[in-house]
Amino acid sequence: MNDHPRISDFSGSDLDRMIPDESRFTAGVLIEPGKSYGFFTDTTVCIGCKACEVACKEWNNLPADHIGLTGQSFDNTGELSANTWRHVAFVEKSGCGGVRDNSEAPYQSGWLMLSDVCKHCHNAPCLEACPTGAIFRTEFDTVVVQQDICNGCGYCVPACPFGVVAVSENDGKAHKCTLCYDRLKGGLEPACSKACPTDSIQFGELSDLQARAAVRVEQLHGQGVGSAYLYGTPGAPGATGGLEHLNAFFLLTDRPEVYNFPVAPTRASNRVAPSLLSGLLTVAALATAASFILSSRDR
Amino acid sequence: MATMDGRITLVQESRFQLTDEAGVSHLFTLSPWCAAEPAQLRPLAHSQAPVRVTYKAGVDVIGQVAQRIDVQAEAGR
Repeated sequence: MNDHPRISDFSGSDLDRMIPDESRFTAGVLIEPGKSYGFFTDTTVCIGCKACEVACKEWNNLPADHIGLTGQSFDNTGELSANTWRHVAFVEKSGCGGVRDNSEAPYQSGWLMLSDVCKHCHNAPCLEACPTGAIFRTEFDTVVVQQDICNGCGYCVPACPFGVVAVSENDGKAHKCTLCYDRLKGGLEPACSKACPTDSIQFGELSDLQARAAVRVEQLHGQGVGSAYLYGTPGAPGATGGLEHLNAFFLLTDRPEVYNFPVAPTRASNRVAPSLLSGLLTVAALATAASFILSSRDR
Repeated sequence: MATMDGRITLVQESRFQLTDEAGVSHLFTLSPWCAAEPAQLRPLAHSQAPVRVTYKAGVDVIGQVAQRIDVQAEAGR
């Protein structure tokens, strides 16, 4: 035998089946239908490795898109799209006396990195806008597009306040993160959080994640990062306009718009009644004006 | 249109991976006008049936758009 001595370190698996409820060991959570699950993304520990992007593409069999250079630092995917369900944003700050100033404060003061994803909103505007029922809420309180029902109308695209949902030019259907619905059904945590080497993306039961995030914010405040806050938890920025809360929420250290997040996202359905009313009032005003002009002409 | 022979080795929704005779894997998405449904992909992957995929290049992706999938006769397997 001339095997390399390290070969014994990588012996093949002798498991004859999947580990039942594997998420207990990888994420410390048992995945059960009827409970709310989500992501807590702590941007202060994101190193921009894009393992989440790769894991998402690998598991979901998604093709690479936006071929070419974006011209935006280390960002090669550019934005969330029909084929990119995780997007690591690289924000180079110009604070601390300049972009490449030599005296920067700790905690990624020069660079902000964030792995963006579908927020799986509690009151999901995309779901409310979908006329076919293709977008539904799963037993894990996540929001998923059923590909065999989607007719590609695209109503969900402008309804999403975060610009997450996109219609593919190739198959004509709406696509977005499924929070690895198929993996959850098999007792596996989502591919992106499992691949995250720094636990910047944490998967778990929503109430646990929110409690964990609150502790982390307190810890950061104690360490001198007073700018740390949560985006998407109940009552926090990002959970505005009737969204209640986001199942995928974030710990940020700068204003939401710096990360390309809306400051105060709202549900599109909130605007239906005012829009309808203003339209009816406009028609009534125009009809009144027209009848006034025509009647004055007759005189 | 171009064609590619191989076996479907991975399926996710309407996307699938075709592994050709040389062992190289290629990514495909079903066209909305494809003569095959997403529900038909998984049985093809399970049976490992040889197929011929007629395709066009995808728009802004490293992948192809399948227009037609034909099951081929098994040859010397």
